[in-house]
Amino acid sequence: MSLLPTPRRPRAARPTDRADAERLPPRAGEVIDRRRTVGFRWNGTPYTGHPGDTIVSALAAAGERVFSRSYKYHRPRGLLTANYLDPGCMVQVGDEPNVRGAHRLLTDGMDVRSQNTWPSLRFDVRAVNGLASRFLATGFYYKTFIKPEVLWPAYEKVLRTFVHAGEVPPDSAPGHYDKRYAHPDVVVAGGGPAGMAAAVAAARAGATVMLVEEEHQLGGHLRWGGPAELARLAELRALVAAEPAIEVLTDAVVGARFDDNWIPVVARGIPGIDERLIKARAGALVVAPGLVERPYVFAGNDLPGVVLSTAVRRLVNLHAVRPGRRAVVLTANPEGDAAVADLESAGVEVAEVVDARRGEGVRAAHGRSGLRVVELGDGRRVEADLLVTAVGWTAPTSLLNQSGDRPVYEPRAARFLPDPTRMPENVLAAGGIAGDGDVDALVEHADAVGREAARRAGRSAGAAVTVPALPVADHPELFSAGTGGFVDFSEDVSAKDITTAAAEGYDSVELVKRYTTATMGPAQGKLETVNTVAVLAAATGRTIAETGTTTWRPMWAPVTLGALAGRSHEPVRYSPMQPWHERHGAVPLIAGQWIRPEHYGDPAGEVTAVRTGVGIIDVTPIGKLDLRGPDVAKLLNLLYVNKWSKLGVGRVRYGVMCAEDGVVMDDGVTGRLGEDHYLMSTTSSGAATVWEWVENWLQTAHPEWRVHVTPVTTAYASINIAGPRSRELLGRLTDVDLDPERFGYMQVRTGRVAGVDDCVLWRIGFTGELSYEVHVPAGYGLHVWERLMATGADLGVRPFGVEAQRILRLEKGHAIVGQDTDGLTQGFSAGLDGLIKLDKDDFVGLPELRWQRERDTAPRLVGLRPLDATVVPPEASQILDRAGGIAGRVTSSRMSPTLGRSIGLAQLDRELAEVGTRVTVRLPDGRDVAAEVTDPVHVDPEGAKLRG
Amino acid sequence: MAESPADAVAAQTAVARSPIAAAVPTVRDGWEVDATVAVGPLTLSDETPLAKVAVRAPFDGAARAALGVRYGRTGRVDIGGDRVLIAGAGPGEWLALGAPGTGSALVASLEELLAGTGEFTSVLDLTHGRALVRLEGAAAPSVLAGVCAIDFSDTVTPDGTALRTSVAAVVTDVVRDDRGTQRSGAAATGAVGVPSFLLHCERSSGQYLADALLEAGAGAGLEVTGFRGLEPSRG
Repeated sequence: MSLLPTPRRPRAARPTDRADAERLPPRAGEVIDRRRTVGFRWNGTPYTGHPGDTIVSALAAAGERVFSRSYKYHRPRGLLTANYLDPGCMVQVGDEPNVRGAHRLLTDGMDVRSQNTWPSLRFDVRAVNGLASRFLATGFYYKTFIKPEVLWPAYEKVLRTFVHAGEVPPDSAPGHYDKRYAHPDVVVAGGGPAGMAAAVAAARAGATVMLVEEEHQLGGHLRWGGPAELARLAELRALVAAEPAIEVLTDAVVGARFDDNWIPVVARGIPGIDERLIKARAGALVVAPGLVERPYVFAGNDLPGVVLSTAVRRLVNLHAVRPGRRAVVLTANPEGDAAVADLESAGVEVAEVVDARRGEGVRAAHGRSGLRVVELGDGRRVEADLLVTAVGWTAPTSLLNQSGDRPVYEPRAARFLPDPTRMPENVLAAGGIAGDGDVDALVEHADAVGREAARRAGRSAGAAVTVPALPVADHPELFSAGTGGFVDFSEDVSAKDITTAAAEGYDSVELVKRYTTATMGPAQGKLETVNTVAVLAAATGRTIAETGTTTWRPMWAPVTLGALAGRSHEPVRYSPMQPWHERHGAVPLIAGQWIRPEHYGDPAGEVTAVRTGVGIIDVTPIGKLDLRGPDVAKLLNLLYVNKWSKLGVGRVRYGVMCAEDGVVMDDGVTGRLGEDHYLMSTTSSGAATVWEWVENWLQTAHPEWRVHVTPVTTAYASINIAGPRSRELLGRLTDVDLDPERFGYMQVRTGRVAGVDDCVLWRIGFTGELSYEVHVPAGYGLHVWERLMATGADLGVRPFGVEAQRILRLEKGHAIVGQDTDGLTQGFSAGLDGLIKLDKDDFVGLPELRWQRERDTAPRLVGLRPLDATVVPPEASQILDRAGGIAGRVTSSRMSPTLGRSIGLAQLDRELAEVGTRVTVRLPDGRDVAAEVTDPVHVDPEGAKLRG
Repeated sequence: MAESPADAVAAQTAVARSPIAAAVPTVRDGWEVDATVAVGPLTLSDETPLAKVAVRAPFDGAARAALGVRYGRTGRVDIGGDRVLIAGAGPGEWLALGAPGTGSALVASLEELLAGTGEFTSVLDLTHGRALVRLEGAAAPSVLAGVCAIDFSDTVTPDGTALRTSVAAVVTDVVRDDRGTQRSGAAATGAVGVPSFLLHCERSSGQYLADALLEAGAGAGLEVTGFRGLEPSRG
């Protein structure tokens, strides 16, 4: 016995030498472009191929036979299916792991590496696992590492190093994943002859069609056929191209089918986009994926050189690659017979044709890093570097199962077939999955299916189309030679693992799946499920039909997290003055969707400017609701805790809203602009919530009230002019009479500002200073802002940001809802004692607030001053009671530029809330500081500044 | 150096600005608009300067009859001597679009029109509160498919359709207002003109929405073009 020479080239060989080693002369159906050459590296060595080559076809053309090491035993693995499913061709490309090397097209400059092989693919030390395989049998994780439990993290760390998978470097560039929506009348899953025919028929019947094909070209098995098949392929492709209503997606996959034909389609190969997730809602789905050739289970069936007949035909006819030099072919069907012819035409010596239809068989394959000898059923041993198997088909019924169908096993055909009686109205099947026949029969059937799909999608009238039944051809049941071998190549699950699991009591196919992980690898059962069922059936003495199958769940093919996440839409909102803020160095603050100026470089200086002169702040994000109608006052009375019946025209009032449980929900001021016209403000973050709240009460509790609510938050650019010289500044630009006798505190006026009509002016004071909040029609916001800055230059006007505003309001003791309150803070815990009117007939939260008042045990909002004036306790620092228990927390704290000391607000237990009480504040670093409880108002407690 | 009050008054010629930045700014009708002129067939224009007036009234009563537009549809109506586009994008809500600078007059005309209905109605000028863009071209539905789950085919959303939905995660009123069709004719049987969509959202999200559309349309050759106004798109 002599070993067959395996083509090898020294590592220093020129790339072109490698590239030509196994490349055949031009083939009629080849998809490579021989006029051009692309260069790439495989484990650091330069190679070349042609456009149209897959990574693996280019390597195979260069004579490479091993592309990976297996999952558990690190056995050498080569080509098996030569398509997307190929479990032995997973590679790393650049920083992208787990690339399907037998599917991914070659591009210039690709850096391709084998995954988790050390020190090399050719010599992988972890292959020692194979020697210990008797100890690594089914469930060895559970059996070996279950105790002691504390060591599991260590076990896990070691086990992970054995996993056959690629790496994602931490510095990987983010991918670009896209998402789109589509509403085709018909989605056709599968672009073989049946899929193409169905698509054309549906389009001709008036439907819009999305034709989805996993491969890079339409045509299915016609692509690797003879002249007649290629002629038919050209004809069908021309028909598809002639229908503008057909959108063809190649290198794309229908991932799943959900209720009402919600169909996710993952499309690849789009320039500039890694993957695109198309969320399609289809009127009808035609499932036409063809058939998946099934591997044969026998000893040595995973050796490089053992391949499926369709893989051989792809390599020879699509990529012009000679797959070996001397072959044995095990055939049970015409596809295997055709493979023999293809091999002979490619110059491969066919040493033996083993015809299973005559009862012949293969027992085992022998070799180390590749096939060397085939052991036949009659005991003969044949030297070969290629063993081709053609033993049958798996119907990939996943999409049908997800549609509610329960395909049934047909022993005569040795495969599962759909049960038409259980398929929903809007799902149909065409092609090999539905039955057998020549191309004419498949096309005729698919044509009827396509027309019927268009009809069911509502695109053509008339009676239901009669769909002819496809015949089912006899096929021998060939699953296993009974000599061992692998059932699941992705997970390294052997036939012995299945029988062992059955012997241990895992006799349900669902349990076997979980115990052995068979069918759970990247091929997701398309290569393995039926063999798993067959081996289990043999082990348990049941039939395949009795054994049943595992559940086919979404997705049809593994999908990247990037594709599922898609492009993220995260809206951002800008004030009209944003360009000015950016030009003047504002530090941006992300506040929900809003981008706001946090400060302009010196928040303490901004505070001082407001206290001593004048400053302006962009408060556009403050929520604003336009309220109109004769019943607005009733609405306000219902939603606010205070009274609104007597608010006069031209007046403004502060109000607080509580939920039904009395918890503070939002606050703001509302001004009465006219007899039946009000403008309500809310917190910036609460604008949408309050709008929904108001509408909810109006639409559900009081639909009889005549009130119209319109959100106008960004209809106005809002500018707060604050400081003792604010009146002077505003007075230079407005025709509104600002005399304090005629425009006093908590009043509202409308008028012209900086030449802009219809401005709304509120005299309110969140900062504690004399201030005017000017609401300008938003298109003029930047103009008015710029005029204020220019006109107030001699007054020292400064812009101030959110941080300065926070300090100013803290000095004044004004609480912020959501900061000085939380989701449990009821009204009397928010310092609203004077505001809440329990004598009102009703308002939202009234019963709870009455109970809170009666209990009088709730925490209180207090002022807080550390005794050490230089210490600013971080917000959320805990306040301790005398026993060391938690008695409260700091809700707001800052260094006050006005007082030159630290100040704060706190939620504190009732018994410690008296002014003058000494408390202990525990800082996050564990230190304790002493502090004194004060009135919440730290600056201008009399309010003289506000009312000035 | 501070301006004198006189200088300040002199500088008070106000120019209104859209939330969407103009590549080539120029002033038209008191608004800063983009002077860019696209050459391709797929365009995005900022139509924010159009007067935008909201009407609230009972869903299907005398006010609806007076406006002549039902929920989910649009119509061009003569109001106060001006031709305006009215869209019924929300139940009991209409948006009237008019020429730039006509907001106050349009409010007055609508209030006069509705006064006789006896129904509780309100009319509010939202010209400054909303952003408005027009996406036009045969590929416009395809662009929208990148940012919106609605089926914008001719059969589901023909010319004259108005709806409120999420576009790139922003609440948006979408109004189909094709170019080259006459509403009373072609719209009833399917569009024959160039698909054209007005998209209307809260002002502060305008720049974001425009950017999202431009990104979604980049592969289809979407170009920015200048303000076009209400009527040029009509055939």
